[in-house]
Amino acid sequence: MTDDLGFIDPTAGGSRAKIPLAPRSSDLAGKVVGLLDNTKEQADVILETVADILRERYGVAKVIIRRKEYYSKPASEDLINEMAKEVQVAAAALGG
Amino acid sequence: MRASGASKEIKLGGKVDEFEFFLEKDWSDGLPVVTPTEARVRWMLQDLQRDPDEPVGNIPPAGEPATVRTVAIHALMAGCKPEYLPVVLGGVKLILREEFNMGGVQCTMHGVAPLMIVNGPYADKIGLRGGNGCFGPGFRANATIGRAIRLVLLNLGGGIPGLASATVFASPIRYTACLTEHMARSPWESLAVSRGYAPEDDVITCAMVESPRLHFDDVSTEPERLLTGIGDAMTAPGSWNMWFKSDMVVAMSPQHAVLCANAGLSRDDARRRLCELAVRPQASLKRGGNWRSERARAMGIDPDDDEAPIHAVKDPDRLHLIVAGGVGPITAVCHGWNDSSRAVHGKYEV
Repeated sequence: MTDDLGFIDPTAGGSRAKIPLAPRSSDLAGKVVGLLDNTKEQADVILETVADILRERYGVAKVIIRRKEYYSKPASEDLINEMAKEVQVAAAALGG
Repeated sequence: MRASGASKEIKLGGKVDEFEFFLEKDWSDGLPVVTPTEARVRWMLQDLQRDPDEPVGNIPPAGEPATVRTVAIHALMAGCKPEYLPVVLGGVKLILREEFNMGGVQCTMHGVAPLMIVNGPYADKIGLRGGNGCFGPGFRANATIGRAIRLVLLNLGGGIPGLASATVFASPIRYTACLTEHMARSPWESLAVSRGYAPEDDVITCAMVESPRLHFDDVSTEPERLLTGIGDAMTAPGSWNMWFKSDMVVAMSPQHAVLCANAGLSRDDARRRLCELAVRPQASLKRGGNWRSERARAMGIDPDDDEAPIHAVKDPDRLHLIVAGGVGPITAVCHGWNDSSRAVHGKYEV
């Protein structure tokens, strides 16, 4: 046991920036939805099926599917900005 | 030396078990750490001619900034001596290179880790081990330098299972992964020299690999049989090396390397021959594991061609052949991850 332990917090000094979550839509009807294909095998098959269901059952106006460069890497800033401009709701979607 | 206001000592009143306190805080790899006090951090930084607030880089995926001082804090926690700090700083800087894709590995299902191979005179000076038992345990420099890198990845990067990391098993190599070559017994030039560095250069190579698998061969008396066997250990259904342009590390014991050298093979000859011999016909990989028709097609291979040769290492530059370990007829084979990570190497400041 130690009296009056002095120590340095090894995680101190970081930015600790909090990024708020985007507001969630409760209704998809009439909206443009973006799906981000992570490039894993059969992601395209899964996402196209999801897109059909979103249109048929949820009244989504349009589904835009984009593909990132590589599944182990984040999507590029350009791709994220492009999707942000085009869609009202976006989901990062897995294949594999 | 400037003191960073961002990491002032905090005082806890009363009696505290410092080891239990840190373990409860999730600030370790599950093992006790050396408590970072102001005095100990000053000791760690005392001989380093660098500004403690110098940025080293942001650790993915959380992106928390690492500075010379925060790396020193983690080196201290890991049990490093001050003279190890240049290697830890060199390693952290190297693994943050974009082509290494540390961020991807921090989040992957896989269990690979950055294995540091340190060449040059400074590795010897600080007692890094390349001889028997070099993957550990038992050697302070190997154990604590690799552990310091891991603590940085956990505490500043957030690569913690259940948080950012989706690793299914992780692996023992995630505790620590740092060694040098056994140059006193190697018949060849070092890995760094084979890449064009001078023998007096202090160089780190990092490759993203799994824990070593040991390949015993106390039978071969000529290289072709030896390399055929090692080549077979480099292939396996379920290994991503079969379906991606992944890196691989093969650590030959001096006995195996000398067997090759005595038959006239250079390091490069052995490396290239291993790449040729580490191959399976597609049919043997279709019986199980991660064969998929799309993956074969992505490599330009007809999935119905059962005889198509599938090489474990697609490009000899991605096979990192080193000589390490003690006396005995064993080669250690470390399979890799995927083609989004390329091994990195560079000189570091001592």
